[in-house]
Amino acid sequence: MLSGPQPRGITADLRRKRAGRAKWRIGRVNLEVRQGISAWQQAAVLAAAVMVGLLICAAILVAAGVKPAALINEFVIETLTDPENFQSILFQAAPLIIVGLSASVAFRVRFWNLGIEGQMIWGAIGATFVSLHAIGPEITRLPLMALFAVAGGMVWIMVPTWLKQYLRVNEIISTLLLNYVAMNFLLHLVYGRWQDPKDAFPHSPQFASFERLPEVGWGVNSALLLGLLLTALTTWLVRSTRFGFYSKFVQDNDRMALAVGVPIGAVTLISVLVSGALSALAGFVIASAQEGRLTQSFYEGYGFSGILIAFLARNNPVAAMIVGFLVAVLFVSGRSLQVFYQIPFSMVQLIQATMVICVAGSEFLMRHRLHWVR
Amino acid sequence: MLHFIINWLASTPAFAAPYALAALGLIISERAGVLSLGAEGFMLVGSLAGLGAELEFGGYPGMALIIAMAATAAVSLLFAVMVVTLRVNQVIAGLAIVFFCQGLTGLVGTMANWTNRAISGLHEIAIWPLSEIPVLGRILFTQDIVVFLVIPIFFIVNRVLSRSMVGLRLRAIGENPDAGDAAGISVSLYRFAAVVAGSAIVGLAGAYLSVGVVKVWIPNETGGRGWIAVALVIFSRWQPWRALAGALLFGCIEALIPRIAAAGIQVPQYFVAMTPYLATIAVMAWVGVSKLTWSNEPGALGQPYVREERR
Repeated sequence: MLSGPQPRGITADLRRKRAGRAKWRIGRVNLEVRQGISAWQQAAVLAAAVMVGLLICAAILVAAGVKPAALINEFVIETLTDPENFQSILFQAAPLIIVGLSASVAFRVRFWNLGIEGQMIWGAIGATFVSLHAIGPEITRLPLMALFAVAGGMVWIMVPTWLKQYLRVNEIISTLLLNYVAMNFLLHLVYGRWQDPKDAFPHSPQFASFERLPEVGWGVNSALLLGLLLTALTTWLVRSTRFGFYSKFVQDNDRMALAVGVPIGAVTLISVLVSGALSALAGFVIASAQEGRLTQSFYEGYGFSGILIAFLARNNPVAAMIVGFLVAVLFVSGRSLQVFYQIPFSMVQLIQATMVICVAGSEFLMRHRLHWVR
Repeated sequence: MLHFIINWLASTPAFAAPYALAALGLIISERAGVLSLGAEGFMLVGSLAGLGAELEFGGYPGMALIIAMAATAAVSLLFAVMVVTLRVNQVIAGLAIVFFCQGLTGLVGTMANWTNRAISGLHEIAIWPLSEIPVLGRILFTQDIVVFLVIPIFFIVNRVLSRSMVGLRLRAIGENPDAGDAAGISVSLYRFAAVVAGSAIVGLAGAYLSVGVVKVWIPNETGGRGWIAVALVIFSRWQPWRALAGALLFGCIEALIPRIAAAGIQVPQYFVAMTPYLATIAVMAWVGVSKLTWSNEPGALGQPYVREERR
C-alpha cells in the first residue's frame, strides 16, 4: 500500500512544522536548585510575599465592605495607639504565643500535632476539675489547676503518639479526629454534669477570684508573663540543652540521627509531651484568665493559629513570640470588624490562611532560580 | 426490630455517598502523587456553593450540584498551583487550603446570608417496578439521584484509572515521576488535571451533604468528614472498590446515630456523636496491625517533582 514517496513526504512535513514551531517558540522556564541564598535575598523574597499577602487581604476586606481609607486606621493606628486596645492585644497574645510554642516544639521532631485544640480542651477540663472539686488550699489552687491542665494535655497527646509508635497510625489524621472527640466530650460536660446551675447556660460555674490569673499592674495580666516565661524556657530547651541538639538532629536528618545513636524515640516522646503540655496550658490560660470558666467554644481558631505561628516562625520560639503578638493584633482587629462592620470572625482565619499560602509559595523562589530558555 | 433495621439500611446509602465520592476524588489525585489533605476544605466549598446556588437560582438541585463542582474545581486550582507549580510541602499546602476554605466559606456564607436557610433540596426517586420489591426496593431502589450516580462515577473512575492510557500515565507519575517524565509524560499537566478532577468529585460530595442530606448551611457543615475520607483512602489502599466498601461501613455507622435517637433508646448523645471519629481511628489502627498497610501506596505520594533534581 505505502509507496515510496509517502513516508518522505510525511517527514518533510514534520520538519517544516518543527521549524515553524522553533521560530515562534516562546521558550520555557528551567528551574535551577539554588545551593544557597543570601540572607538579604531571603528577606527580600519574604518581604515581597508578605506584601502580596497583605494586598490580597486588603482586597478581600474592601470586597467585604470596609472602606479602603479605614483599613490602616482600623488595623494599625486604632489597635496599637489606643491604650485600651493595646492592653487587649497583650491579653490576647498570651494563649496565642503558647499555642505557637506548642506547635513549634512538635514540628521540630516532625510530629504533626494538629490536635492543639483537643489538648487545649483537656487542659481546660483539668483546670476546671480542680476548681469544681476545690482541691487544695486557696494559695496552691492556681498551680494545681495548671498541673492538672498539663496532665490532661499530656494524656490526650499520648493517644496519637502511642497509635503512631505501635500501630503506625498517621498522626495528622489521628490528632485531628481526636479534636472532634474532645469537642464532643466538652459539650457533654458543659451541657451535662458541669453546667452552671445558676443560669443554665452551657458553661461551668464561674471560677473563684483566686482561681483566676491575676493582673500584675499596668493592665498586664500574668498570663502574658506566663507566655514570656514559657518562651524563655522553650528557647533554653531548644538552644542550650542536649535535648535541643538532638531534636534539631532528628528534624534535619532522622536516619543519620539513628545511625549515630541519638535516642530518637525518647526525643520524639519528650517533644510531643512538651507540645501537649503547652497546648493544655494555653487552654488553662483562656479558661482562667479570659473566660473565668469552662465555655463551649473557647478553643476555636487557636489550633490553626498555633500551626500558622510555628510555620511563619520556622519553629523558632522567639520568632513564635513575635508572630504570636502579630496574630493577636489580627484577632483584636477581627473582633472590632465583627462589631463595626458585621464581618464574621472567619475573616481572621481567611487572612491568616492567605498569609500562609503567600509565604509558603515564596519558598519556591528561595529554593529555585528561574531561567528563561528559548 | 425488622422495621428498625430496614430504616437503618435504607438511610445508609445517603450517609455513605459523601464518603464514597470524597474517597474516589482523593484517590484520583493521590494516585497521581499529590497528597490531598485539603478534602475537608473542598467539601466545605462544595457544600456552600451547592446550597448557595440552590438558594439564589431557585430550586434546581442538579444545577446546584454542577455549580458546586465547578466552584470546588476553581478553588482547587489554588491548591494545584501551590503543590504542582510552586512545589510547596504538600502537608502544609493541604492544611493551608483547609483553613483557607473554612475561612472563605464562613465569610461568604454569612455575608451572603445563606446561613440557616432551609431548602427543599434533592428528592428521593423510586425506580418504579423495582422499588415495589418488599424490602430491597426500599433499601436499594428508593434513593436520590446522587446515590444512584455514585455507581457510574465509581465505574468510570475505576475504569479510567486501571484500564486506560490516561490512567496508566497518571499512576506512572504517582509511582515514579522521574521515569514518567523520561517517558515523555508531562508530570505537571497530569498532576494539575488529577487535582482539579479529583477535587471536583470531592466538591460533589460536599454539595450532596448540603443539598441532599442536611438541606441547610451551617459553618463547618462537614464536621470532619473530609478527614475521615482521607483516612478512608489509606484504609482502601488507594483501590476504588475498597474505598466503596469502606464508605458503606462508615455510612452504616453514621446512619445508626439518628436511628438510635429516633427509636427512643437512651444513650448520651455526645458520646454517640464521637463514634464516626473513633471508628476511623480504630480502622486506621486495624490497617496498621494488618501489616499490609503501605503495600499499594503510590511511590511518590507527597513528594514534589522538580525535573532538574532528577537523579
